[in-house]
Amino acid sequence: MNGQSPEKGESIWDKMKSEKMTAFFFCLPALIPLSVFWIFPMVFALYLSLTNWDLMMPVYDVVGAENYIRLFQDPEFYRTLWNTLYFTVGSVLPAVLGGLVLAIIIKGKVIGKTVHQTLLFSPWVTPLVAMAIVFSWIFDPDTGLINYLLQLINLPALPWYASSDWAMPVVISVSVWRTLGWSMVFYIVALDRIPESIYEQAEIDGVNFWTRFRYITLPLVSPTTLFLSVVLTIQALRAFDQIDIITQGGPAGATRTLLYHYYQAAFERFNAGEAAAIGIIILTIAGLFALAQFLISKKYVHYQ
Amino acid sequence: MSNKAEKSQENIAAKPEKTEHTRSGRWTIWKKKLGKISSNLFIILMSFILIFPFLWMFASALMTQEEIASYPPSFIPEAPQWGNFLEAWMSAPFSRYIFNSFFTASAIVILHIITTALFAYAITQLEFKLRKPLFVIVMATYMLPVPVTYVPSYIVLSWVGWIDTYQGIIASNAVSVFAIFLARQSFLQVPNELVDAARVDGASHWTILWKVFFPLTKPIFITFGLINFVLMYNNYLWPLLIIRSERLYLITIGLRQFFIEQGAYGVNWPLIMAASTIVVLPLLILFFITQKWFIKGVGGTGGIKG
Repeated sequence: MNGQSPEKGESIWDKMKSEKMTAFFFCLPALIPLSVFWIFPMVFALYLSLTNWDLMMPVYDVVGAENYIRLFQDPEFYRTLWNTLYFTVGSVLPAVLGGLVLAIIIKGKVIGKTVHQTLLFSPWVTPLVAMAIVFSWIFDPDTGLINYLLQLINLPALPWYASSDWAMPVVISVSVWRTLGWSMVFYIVALDRIPESIYEQAEIDGVNFWTRFRYITLPLVSPTTLFLSVVLTIQALRAFDQIDIITQGGPAGATRTLLYHYYQAAFERFNAGEAAAIGIIILTIAGLFALAQFLISKKYVHYQ
Repeated sequence: MSNKAEKSQENIAAKPEKTEHTRSGRWTIWKKKLGKISSNLFIILMSFILIFPFLWMFASALMTQEEIASYPPSFIPEAPQWGNFLEAWMSAPFSRYIFNSFFTASAIVILHIITTALFAYAITQLEFKLRKPLFVIVMATYMLPVPVTYVPSYIVLSWVGWIDTYQGIIASNAVSVFAIFLARQSFLQVPNELVDAARVDGASHWTILWKVFFPLTKPIFITFGLINFVLMYNNYLWPLLIIRSERLYLITIGLRQFFIEQGAYGVNWPLIMAASTIVVLPLLILFFITQKWFIKGVGGTGGIKG
């Protein structure tokens, strides 16, 4: 319909004007909430991070970079930064790799493909709050199932979320449990797109499994790998539910991520300025992660 | 990349491998069979591990306090305590919470359908200057870590007086960038001739959108409607920030509250597991009935090029 000839009795100008008006009114319902709750808040967050507002008093001061300086001088901040990195890498890597492995196996001749696909995907659908409660019961240091199983095979019981060394693996495992089947589904779609003929040719040439995987599968699913690692990283940066239910950032701050720090600053200590500053830092980190992943991908991602 | 594959094949091509009736041939058949069996076993094991938390939750919900604390743990409740569900249901206003979650999630999904359809139509079918930049801006917000906007959005809501209201939850979630992305893709595939024909008949853009595009692309609306419904039902942090009064609690917040209260006097795991089952089960049922829509929709977003 672009460049369509004007109707009778209607000049081109009239038509363009009415098309513009329609476009305006069609965009408005989406753009209003988007500006009010996404775009404006981004800018507003940047401004807030330069103030010392406590969210209640009507007056506050613009304090410049003070919030950032205080954060960067606080050793606790570097610990949350490290925790965030630990959590992100720990939950993204297994989900991406595991998703690929599952997809490859499911794509091979497996009985009951759809059933497995449905079961493996189901964790993604369920409320994380409820399942985090279930996980806290499974990982219970005293009577939990995991410790029972460990002792069954003569391994020592672990203190899990009660210890600062093992709490992070617990919250990470909830995350991986939830996203494994989800990333598998993306890989199944990607594998379906690879033409069968490539594999047939490889089979005729007698190429073994690993070579096939390394030189055919991996390059051809690389756009999916990139997409998943970016999206999962952003999801990891906003992980909250399982941390809040199982550890509340503890013990001794061992699972306090940047987002949990942000939450506590804003809604427990009512320090909007500090929270906004952490928000901006999270945003910057997400941006850097995405940039790094795109740069790496320039070298390794192959679009068909 | 096929070059690379060819290069690596040269090394292997030296090995003569015939799949006829030779001894090595029989070995390959065996290897294939073995591979098939082990991958089947592996997938069964993985499926079992991933759904195990559901099974464990359900089994625990049917146990008595003594049974659940016993060591070694029992896996199957001796005398299923169906009464646990009733007791959990009665000890907190779960029906209220579930209503709140269903009501807000449905309202949000209806808004998503309207805002998405209009916006996707504008950026795919209408000619205007800001069309490209607008799409880029909207897509960029998909990559944003949402929590950054929580504090400022909270302040915005408090300006309008919508903290602790249904309107607050609904309005702040009225747009779904994911939905816009999916709808745009499928709107681009609607044949131009259909639109032209409708235009010649004098149909307005509004009519074309709802009479031509919407029926043709309905599957995509069902898909994102279901996915976003689930996401909203499961939403926790944002509602936790803006909801105060118990009568407005969403199911996730209500369950957390119940978890804390029951934990106060030695954790009552059977009751908590019964409550968790009540929260999780509706979604699992919804998912098992509609699973193909979910999997199609999720997979559909993976095909982004560049």
